[in-house]
Amino acid sequence: MLGYYCRLALKSFRHTPGLTALMVGAIAFGISTCIVTLTVYHAMSGNPIWWKNNVLYAVTMDSRDPLPTGSLADSDSLPDQFSYADATYLYGSSIPRHKAIVATMSGALSGAPDQSAAALVHLRATSMGFFRMFDVPFEYGGPWDAAADRGPEPVIVLSRDENDKLFGGADSVGRSILLDNHPFRIVGVLDRWNPQPQFYDLTVRSFGNASDAYIPFASGVQLRLWPHGHVSCWGADDPHTYPQLIGSSCVWILLWVELPDAASREHFRAYMDAYWAAQHKMGRFQRPRDNSLWPVSRWLTHHHVVTDNSRLLLRLAFAFLAVCLINTVGIELTKFLRAAPLTGVRRALGASRRHIFLQHLVETAVIALAGSALGLALSWAELDAIHALYSGSNDAYGLLAHFDPLGVLWALGLAALATIIAGLYPAWRIGRVPPALHLKSQ
Amino acid sequence: MSTGVTMHINVPPLFSALRRNPAGALLVLAQIAITLAVLCNAASIVAHAIARMDLPSGFDTRDTFVIDVESQSNRFDIPSAEREDVAYLRGLPDVVAATITSGRPLTHDGTFDGMGRAPGTTGASVLSSKLPVDEQGLSALGVPLVAGRNFRADEIVADSATGTPQQSGEIIISESLARALFPDGHALGSTVYNGGTNPLTIIGITRDFMGPQGDEPSYNVYLAPEMSGAYGFYELFVRARPGRRDIVQRIANRHIAAAHPDAVIAFSQTMADARQLMDADNRNMTIFLSAVTALMIAVCCLGMFGLTAFNVNSRIRQIGVRRAVGARRRDIVAHFVAESALILGAGAVLGSVFALALGQWLSDHYGEPRLDLAYVLASIVTLWAIGQLAAWQPARRAASVPPSVATRTI
Repeated sequence: MLGYYCRLALKSFRHTPGLTALMVGAIAFGISTCIVTLTVYHAMSGNPIWWKNNVLYAVTMDSRDPLPTGSLADSDSLPDQFSYADATYLYGSSIPRHKAIVATMSGALSGAPDQSAAALVHLRATSMGFFRMFDVPFEYGGPWDAAADRGPEPVIVLSRDENDKLFGGADSVGRSILLDNHPFRIVGVLDRWNPQPQFYDLTVRSFGNASDAYIPFASGVQLRLWPHGHVSCWGADDPHTYPQLIGSSCVWILLWVELPDAASREHFRAYMDAYWAAQHKMGRFQRPRDNSLWPVSRWLTHHHVVTDNSRLLLRLAFAFLAVCLINTVGIELTKFLRAAPLTGVRRALGASRRHIFLQHLVETAVIALAGSALGLALSWAELDAIHALYSGSNDAYGLLAHFDPLGVLWALGLAALATIIAGLYPAWRIGRVPPALHLKSQ
Repeated sequence: MSTGVTMHINVPPLFSALRRNPAGALLVLAQIAITLAVLCNAASIVAHAIARMDLPSGFDTRDTFVIDVESQSNRFDIPSAEREDVAYLRGLPDVVAATITSGRPLTHDGTFDGMGRAPGTTGASVLSSKLPVDEQGLSALGVPLVAGRNFRADEIVADSATGTPQQSGEIIISESLARALFPDGHALGSTVYNGGTNPLTIIGITRDFMGPQGDEPSYNVYLAPEMSGAYGFYELFVRARPGRRDIVQRIANRHIAAAHPDAVIAFSQTMADARQLMDADNRNMTIFLSAVTALMIAVCCLGMFGLTAFNVNSRIRQIGVRRAVGARRRDIVAHFVAESALILGAGAVLGSVFALALGQWLSDHYGEPRLDLAYVLASIVTLWAIGQLAAWQPARRAASVPPSVATRTI
């Protein structure tokens, strides 16, 4: 029966090729716009480490001056970061299963065989825990050990891209490279790893390229590498030398902990509160106590990672799809009604209302499916174009506009939606047409 | 056509005709209403995005560029390196002016302070960006002073060997910042504080320009006569003679890269590129909104076209009858045009309600500016005109139905 309905639908399309093309085209545009905005929205709003949402926490403490001015004056801009003293103290806790200090630095790598000039790299100054808690994959070698953090030892982990650039992708573990003219031993090379949004450091931007290389935080401090991200200072703090920065209460270091259960969470909270109270007594931290542990999902919402523009565009896309579908309903309806005499004949020859309904629903479904297939192809092309257009920059659309298999699912879902919205009413309406009336006028 | 002839449209037949296919008309009406609501809000958002892109930078963005030099070793002597570089640049024949700085206008790269009229962190403050410059800062930017004076060469302070900040007590501020700090005027010569206890005297006021930017475009900026080596980098802001920017930039890049084995050029960016990047979000939003809205209008008009064409086709006989009993061609056209006008009118009323509700919601949730009624009116006129055009062609076809049709099939 279905085959027969499809043949009938094709026949009807041959009668009105212009209208059919119009409907398919409108649905295709509507669906492709939805897929593009959905893809970007989905990538933006995703939690790239969802499997650890209940164990991974960003740590914050309101360390601002009592009456702050300037960039952090707003009540919602609680500092994300810690000063050197606070970060190193809290990092010293043995409660978390894993813990990581996360700071951004900059340095130049030189001395690799494939290198003619020193290359300025984006450095993540961190600790061993970073790789373990964020499930960072390694291509060669692995993270440095706890001793390297304490030492600190001059060890370095390269990103896959950086290793490609410097060593032509060869296993460079064990080799030595110069960071700002100091020899560092390569202990690991990452596999491809660039989670979006960059949940582990949202201070400068939410989307972008991952760091080129990773070194123990203490090694970076030993080399006096200045922070390369966001530094916030209060009051009289205005560090001009490295010792001044280390001694200041300017914040520039993120702290992450992995706390596997409620007991460890409570334990760590108590540890923070005790530190806060001691500092409060000494005259620091004069604001109301605000010590927080942020699970990744809340951390992402807190930072407004999903931009208003992308939300707006998503809604616009759906409004556009709605207009396209209403348009299809209208055209289908008028088309069906025009062919009402034919339906009358079919009814008179014994087709039940259900058959008429199904026949017309199939016709709309074929259009919706064709529109979705075309829309899928269009969205692929559009995403490619957007990606190419913005690939150079750190633009969210450039980074996130990748066609993913989810696009096929979106398309199928939207096709079903289109069929239901655009097909049900016209098919039902044509089923209600009294056959006698149209037989009479033949 | 003589002016004495009146076009006569019978209203009752209009409604009775619509009643025969109410669903079709209602669906087109719904499309028009949604499209109208989107159109006026999109137009409003696009207009504001364009206005933001049109905000003047206030300084010479055409002939200027910034080079950022990052230290690669503790041996690297930033104060002498920056002095060497700036002297070299000033010696180039195509350079108008060059200054040492550590902030980039039009980007997020810079220092932001809360400026207030009271010392310390008490009292109200205005978030301002700081642009450290030397005596050539103003001429490198191409920003004129509106009051007061420029820094003298001997007033530019550098960090001492121990790193103790040698703060200057003098600053130059923009007109916007002057107005924000001193609404009643007399900013020149007054004292302000940047969160610390060190008083800063305003010695000059410049015409507004965009310094390093926060999230929203801002003209609150102050110039400080400082060369700081903190954070292990320095920047050079260079203004070339008109048309010579790219050549100067190439020469400067090559020279600086060769001159300092212990440093690396992190980037070298023209201010024209910086402005492009700053406007990227607004530009993308404008393109996307315009494209989708245009497609939406097109689909909506095709719907109107399709409905009118269907009505014409299914009423060929009635048209023939009307023609046979004396209706002129233009009466037939008028009937169908009036029918579409009725749908458009109803769609416009419903759409305006949607539009205002959507506008309210957008300004509540997304901080978009309130929807101006002018956008609603302009959108109605636009959509109406396009909708009428869409109905025009099938209506004309209806008018060409010969009166003889009436006699043929009965």
